[in-house]
Amino acid sequence: MSAVLELRRVLKRFGETLGVGPVDFEVQEGEFLTLLGPSGCGKTTTLHIVAGLLHPDEGTVTLGGRDITRLDPQHRDMGLVFQNYALFPHKTVFDNVAFGLRMRKVAQSKIRDRVSRMLEVVGLPGVEARQPHQLSGGQRQRVALARALVIEPSLLLLDEPLSNLDAVLRKRMRHELREIQQRLGIATVFVTHDQDEAFEMSDRVILMNVGHIEQVATPEELYNSPTSRFAAEFIGEVNLIDGTVASLIGDSAVVEAALGGRYAARGDGGALGVGDKVLLMVRPERIGIETSPSANGEAVEATVANRVFSGNTLIFTLRTASGIELTASKPSTAQYRDIAPQSTVWLDLGDCRLLPRET
Amino acid sequence: MRAGGGIFAATLFTPITVLYLSFLLAPIGFFLVMSVFRYSPMELYIPAVTADNFVRLLGEEHYRNIIFRTLRIAALTAFFSLLLGYPLAYFLARTGSIWRGVLMFLVIAPLMTGVIVRTYGWIVLLGSEGTVNVTLMWLGLIDRPIKILETEVAVLVALVHILMPYMVFPLFSSLAGQDPDVERAAATLGAGRWRIFFEVTLPLSRAGILMGSALVFTLTAGAVVTPALLGGTKVQMLGQTIYDLVLSTLNWPFASAIAFVLVLCQFSIIFLYFKGGRRRAG
Repeated sequence: MSAVLELRRVLKRFGETLGVGPVDFEVQEGEFLTLLGPSGCGKTTTLHIVAGLLHPDEGTVTLGGRDITRLDPQHRDMGLVFQNYALFPHKTVFDNVAFGLRMRKVAQSKIRDRVSRMLEVVGLPGVEARQPHQLSGGQRQRVALARALVIEPSLLLLDEPLSNLDAVLRKRMRHELREIQQRLGIATVFVTHDQDEAFEMSDRVILMNVGHIEQVATPEELYNSPTSRFAAEFIGEVNLIDGTVASLIGDSAVVEAALGGRYAARGDGGALGVGDKVLLMVRPERIGIETSPSANGEAVEATVANRVFSGNTLIFTLRTASGIELTASKPSTAQYRDIAPQSTVWLDLGDCRLLPRET
Repeated sequence: MRAGGGIFAATLFTPITVLYLSFLLAPIGFFLVMSVFRYSPMELYIPAVTADNFVRLLGEEHYRNIIFRTLRIAALTAFFSLLLGYPLAYFLARTGSIWRGVLMFLVIAPLMTGVIVRTYGWIVLLGSEGTVNVTLMWLGLIDRPIKILETEVAVLVALVHILMPYMVFPLFSSLAGQDPDVERAAATLGAGRWRIFFEVTLPLSRAGILMGSALVFTLTAGAVVTPALLGGTKVQMLGQTIYDLVLSTLNWPFASAIAFVLVLCQFSIIFLYFKGGRRRAG
């Protein structure tokens, strides 16, 4: 695999405030890469820099080995789908989709052909004569996608394209978008604040926070092995327990936890020393709940403070003897339905993840 | 709930409805009726149903010329206001400059001084010993003062200036209301600055162009003071003609007929504006 797009030390300021940077990443051929993060993290700024709508103050952007840092958007050969679709409201669907081809001086007969073929690809054949305002939100989005793809760009850019759709349609479009992307084999940069979207669609995810990259990883790595407190808390539910490093073995550490007891934890132990304050991370579904103490006596005793039924899962709030509250989620099967509030249980924290403790 | 909303809406609309009925529709009805009356030097008017006033208006070359001149000046004023106002409105709508507020104020400022003050200002500038002539002579471009006052040019220049805010504001709001992503989308699809302007920005500001042009056209067509002071008797327009007939000659029926034609022209423009606006929406 080779990189289609590369950003090196890219930085953008808006007056005195930092918009984004410095950021480094690359997009591989055919890859679906997601920029994920809360609003204001710089993900849209980064996308605009890639598209050429903003020029960075520092760093370089290369596309297929060519330096395009200062190149204007009209010469970049990228297809961009906007959050609000940004269709031309005064043009028909045909004229919207044909726009990029006309700018490229493609012959009229070929334009007709390519527009109708692309509308078929996005699942909206035969709507050429309609006006954008006659279409539903989902249809407009497909037109915007067709308009971006018909120019056969070297890179497809998607700026939160699903966030204006209703929940059901959004879920369906995730799969369709991913399917179209894979069928065309087009390298794609997707911007979203929705971790479910990021996980379901992406090959790799770049997690961003206040203008910098927190972590670059596959969705699985990001969920199971976050490298920062922000990453752990932004992705899904998490229990974080204070602790102190008791000993180190390679990247793993034994941690004296605030719950009482010592736990082995994997993580970036290399940067830590014995006696350092750290956090132990456990996902709620990874906590084992037993109704009797385990044989080796390693389990933590706790009281069920609360139990919430949410369909296929039960969410337990558990209070340990040391007063720490943990959340555990378990399938709502008979085994767990029988665990009543106020009863005493024993917890197995299983695989803990070691995180640096930030102030 | 619905009925309550209706009553509430009716309450909101009552004052303006009363105002319009008594001071706009009633006078229009009054001169519609008056326009078919017969003029009498002794009794002012004699109730009748006659087309004489209209026949005279359209039949006499003098009055036909006034109608054409009025329409021509109104159209030219709208055209030049658009030509000069569009770049200004575009700049105001797009700039992030701290000067935007100041420039907006400068656009509105002329509205705060009266039409008469501004018109006298133009007399000072355009007169035979005015700033324009003095400058041109000093530069050696002309030997003797050229006649600017009492020409259509003088009326046109002053009207374009005086009515500029009515053009700039509708343009500004239609340009500022555009989704910036639409222009960005055009850029990513390969359109340069000028293509974006002619393919996207300009057609999307159509409502503002129509609105501004309709406002300036109708206001010019009905202008009295500026044409009278800058154009004198040489550049007579409909508004001034009506004024003279009503107050000097006291020929109210004929004045009413002219007013009728003027209002008809203005309503046609407004009608065309709404028709144009609907076509865009449909």
